[in-house]
Amino acid sequence: MNIELQDIKFSYGPVRALDGITVRVENGACGLLGPNGAGKSTLLRILLGFLRPDHGQGHVLGHDIRKDPFAIRRLVGYMPEDDCLIPGMDAVTFTSYFGELAGMPRQEAMKRAHDVLYYVGLGEARYRMLETYSAGMKQRLKLAQALVHDPKLLFLDEPTSNLDPQGRVEILDLIKDISSNKDIQVLISSHILTDIELTCTAVVILNKGRVAAQGELAALRQVDFSLYELRVKGESGPYLRALGEAKCRVEETEDQLLKVYLPAGFDRRELFRLADRLNVQVRHFVKSQSSLEDLFARTVGVD
Amino acid sequence: MPIAEQGYVHWEGRLDVRRRPWRPIVRLGIRLAFRRKAFKFVLGMAFLPTLVFAAGVYISERLDDFKEMIRGADRFLKVDPEFFKAFYASDYLLFWMLIIMVLAGAGLIADDLRHKALQLYFARPLRRRDYLQGKALTLCFFLLLLTLLPGFLFIVLKVIFSGSFKILAEYPWLPLSVAAWSLVAAGFFSFYTLALSSLSRNRRYASILLIAVYFLSDIFFGIFYGIFRDPAFTLLSVKSNLQQVAAALLGAKPFFEVPWEYSAAVLAVLAVLAGVVLSRKVRGSEVIK
Repeated sequence: MNIELQDIKFSYGPVRALDGITVRVENGACGLLGPNGAGKSTLLRILLGFLRPDHGQGHVLGHDIRKDPFAIRRLVGYMPEDDCLIPGMDAVTFTSYFGELAGMPRQEAMKRAHDVLYYVGLGEARYRMLETYSAGMKQRLKLAQALVHDPKLLFLDEPTSNLDPQGRVEILDLIKDISSNKDIQVLISSHILTDIELTCTAVVILNKGRVAAQGELAALRQVDFSLYELRVKGESGPYLRALGEAKCRVEETEDQLLKVYLPAGFDRRELFRLADRLNVQVRHFVKSQSSLEDLFARTVGVD
Repeated sequence: MPIAEQGYVHWEGRLDVRRRPWRPIVRLGIRLAFRRKAFKFVLGMAFLPTLVFAAGVYISERLDDFKEMIRGADRFLKVDPEFFKAFYASDYLLFWMLIIMVLAGAGLIADDLRHKALQLYFARPLRRRDYLQGKALTLCFFLLLLTLLPGFLFIVLKVIFSGSFKILAEYPWLPLSVAAWSLVAAGFFSFYTLALSSLSRNRRYASILLIAVYFLSDIFFGIFYGIFRDPAFTLLSVKSNLQQVAAALLGAKPFFEVPWEYSAAVLAVLAVLAGVVLSRKVRGSEVIK
């Protein structure tokens, strides 16, 4: 078990940030999802021991978050959301410095800094001053400093924020590589659902300081089988209106694919009866798994 | 830019549980300070009194040779506690020590706050105490370079030039006094600098604060002393309090008619206040209450 939290509560003064969080995170990459203010960053800070929970208990890699935060920090790599780079340093000095602070011998830290900088794609730029780095390079560098002491568990806070599409893809590739091939568990906090979908096998969704959903992504998607994808031929307007009157939510994609969410207890054969009545041909009918977006919208309660 | 130029390789070593986790912080602080040209110049300027007083130690043993040059000023060349007081409590040395603090210390915490780097530090097995120790010892390194090193150098030079241990026989406590004052000055200036550095996210503002507090306190002392002629106003001035304590620790006559213990108490209160400021400002994450 990588992370196990039980009934964690935390308040910033009168504001309750976490309200009875109980979470179990097994091996593999796990996404921590939630809208702004859901408590994602607070949860990460509690896991790292920056904040002490008001109530509840938890373990990270078998170490108590209250009693043994230093053992946790030795085993965990943390990539914060902010551009927290120290000016006046080059990437090698910066990375080896944080390796040393993690407890690596000086020379080992320096050697290792070169290795991880090559790994994240900053090999050529490793002697450049950090002030000259682009947003994408800064993200890679933050990943490098999180990896330098070869952690067992990586906490990544919004790893793709401020990145252009290409930079985002490259960082996600690195994260996928780390979590799938390198025996390093990853917890990614993000509000970009597609990032989580691309990199994670499990997810924890927070909302208003509570766990809205958690588990294997594949299993969570299968909770709701009421989403169907349809293509129809004929006058689709009356058909869509009829579906709406039958309390079905319908989304039409750019390529005329209809995503129909059936309400509880709705018989799917009714879709065909309606089509028959309105002289519409159903040319494509597939039972769809809900996307993470759907899952998120349903659990958090937003469209 | 290509990624994954090299595959990820696990590190085979073992992380140490460091007994002195602040060492990398000190090393980096010193390295970054020496990268600044202005800092090297200021450090050179701050060593001028050391050169002058070292020459004084030499001349004190060759008074006959320099008779023409000295012309009755030989009382200043007696190497005794007053000689050390003149060195340590000089406005010149204290001023350059302050400037060293501005260049090497103003950004020590302010830069970390500005760039939100504290979370990187505290994501490591590092306590707040270790972080502050690292920052403070960076400053102590420079301050002891300007106080402890010259003090012992003068004593050693005196022994060498005189060919006897007379100075140590006459003032056996002198090495201890030098060490004590050096530690007091380094400790106070470190607390003072770090606290003001933590009050701002901008190293320039922190620099201005460092200089302003030091000089304004002295200006207030001058104004009130000019009006009321009461030496108790000495306690308002950071500089005068330092000079009082320096004189007392070196066994020399104090500058002002105020018990040196009061000055020491003022410095201690300022250091405690600085400690409180640091404990509130230096956190792994911003906590909004």
